[in-house]
Amino acid sequence: MTQRNRLSHTQSASQSRRQPSTSAAQEEDDDTIFTQPSSTQVQKGLEKLTAAEVERKVAEVVQYFLVKDQKKVPVRRAELVKNVVKEYRNVYPEIIKRTARTLDQVFGLKLVEIDSKNHMYILVNNLEPADGASPINSPTSPKMGLLFVILSVVFMKGGVVRENLIWNTLKKLRVDPGEKHEEFGDVKRLVTDEFVRQRYLEYARIPHTEPIEHEFRWGQRADAEVSKAKILEFLGQLFEQEPQSWSQQYKEAHSSQASSSSQR
Amino acid sequence: MKRARSGGDEDAPRQNGSAGRRTEDQHPGDAEGEGSDFGPADLQNNENDPSLRREIRSKYRELISSVQQNREDMLSPSNNKLTEVLEEANQLFKDVRQAREAALDAQLLVMATDLGKEKAGQLFSEGTAFDPAAFTEHLLSFMGINRLEEGDEEQQNGSTFGGYLPQDAWHRLSRRAECCFRTAPSFHYMMGSFHAEPPPPKQRIERQRKALTTEAKRTVPTQLKKMETSHQEATEKEVERILGCLKRYYEDDPASPISYFEFVIDPKSFARTVENIFHTSFLIRDDLARLYLNDEKLPCIAHVEEGEVEAEGSGRRKQCIMSLCEETWKEIIDAFDIQESMIPPPEVDDE
Repeated sequence: MTQRNRLSHTQSASQSRRQPSTSAAQEEDDDTIFTQPSSTQVQKGLEKLTAAEVERKVAEVVQYFLVKDQKKVPVRRAELVKNVVKEYRNVYPEIIKRTARTLDQVFGLKLVEIDSKNHMYILVNNLEPADGASPINSPTSPKMGLLFVILSVVFMKGGVVRENLIWNTLKKLRVDPGEKHEEFGDVKRLVTDEFVRQRYLEYARIPHTEPIEHEFRWGQRADAEVSKAKILEFLGQLFEQEPQSWSQQYKEAHSSQASSSSQR
Repeated sequence: MKRARSGGDEDAPRQNGSAGRRTEDQHPGDAEGEGSDFGPADLQNNENDPSLRREIRSKYRELISSVQQNREDMLSPSNNKLTEVLEEANQLFKDVRQAREAALDAQLLVMATDLGKEKAGQLFSEGTAFDPAAFTEHLLSFMGINRLEEGDEEQQNGSTFGGYLPQDAWHRLSRRAECCFRTAPSFHYMMGSFHAEPPPPKQRIERQRKALTTEAKRTVPTQLKKMETSHQEATEKEVERILGCLKRYYEDDPASPISYFEFVIDPKSFARTVENIFHTSFLIRDDLARLYLNDEKLPCIAHVEEGEVEAEGSGRRKQCIMSLCEETWKEIIDAFDIQESMIPPPEVDDE
């Protein structure tokens, strides 16, 4: 959470605030259309609807989430209400509650609100991951490996890293942001645009830099999905060291595990 | 770029500006003491002197640009350059009287604090330091890099120094890294979606049918006991028979025209009526009969001699479609009071 505040402070200090605030303004507009109904309103609303109608709407919302999650872009509450919930918005809290329950009990997925201000949701796997590599031979996207490298470096370097360090690290791995990579294509776009939109990374401008430089941080989805402890474990294997030897990071990995509810 | 050392490059501007008053300022040690010696007269002079103002502003700008340019240098933990810049700014600030200069000072301070924050960030990791370069080496090994014998040429060869990564390098890494992620598996239909292509099985069926028919033909009876009339022949026979009927009626009474309806309709059977119409149409096609409308606009049929056809020419050819439903058929029977068919039904073979 402290990283979040730091980000907003640096941004307010400089003129780079422009872009985030316009998207925030749009969120405000959409949200003024939709305000969360109170529990009494929800009760009243539920009385007017049959159980079957509500269940069907819940099913639609579940399906919407499942399909939207294919691209891993977060779902905004405003678009959910506008496109799916529509006239059932007065019972929205109940619908969301049941959706979360269905996703959990039927699919083993957790509905996480990654941004309580802008009301964005993502789906996270609620099941315990298998130890080591997954026994199922499903094709994994190589992008995950790239993301892992970036997240590891950012984490091990204290949570913020200047972009040059990341580009140099990737270059050593034969991934050059200036060239087209045969697996990843336009690497720069993948890292600074796609991963950022998916909320795996944050790519913020460093103020007063000439030429403009940016820094990377973990995104909200990474906070919810990625286990720092497991990263340390893997790094320990790679470096043939004990994970505890990185005392600072170890402490952070295991304290965040206790506090954040997603990392059980 | 000029190094912003305290007292270092102050000599140059000193020559331009009012040298006397400024000398006292620039000695860091004496700064505090000298500052308090300024009388009110001196202060007023400082405020109004535009060249002094400009000097101060230009000094600030120099400091700012030097901080920007030498950012990397200042970040290095091995020197105190940042502190020196701050001290320099401190000195300059003593002479600041107007808002413009103060704004520059503020800008410099913001930059310095950002740098300070970054330097503090570098102090992170009390435990074992994390070296990204070593990390990449370990990763490459994990991904299965094929290190070749390194000659000097390999080193100079920019892109493939130190070996080749296998094709599945990143896949290998991704599989291992997967367990660090609790990503929700993506939703996909198990059977995929449908393809808008013609289904292949159809061709197979056609081939099968062809295979069967070819085999069927092979079993030809060795002895023909009864001549089986094929459909084609049956039609021709019927047509000829009807032609015969038509001729007979015509010969009996060449003057009076034969009503088409009376000719084809069989009041006892709708099916037979349709067959009669069908066969009659062949006659008309072959120019052995012709249809025309009489004075009352009712269709009539007449036999045509071969000779007449050639005289008429081809311009007379017209087509029309006869359609008849059971109701209409009944209506015509009632209207024309048809009692029996003019075309006798064919003799029934042993069917």
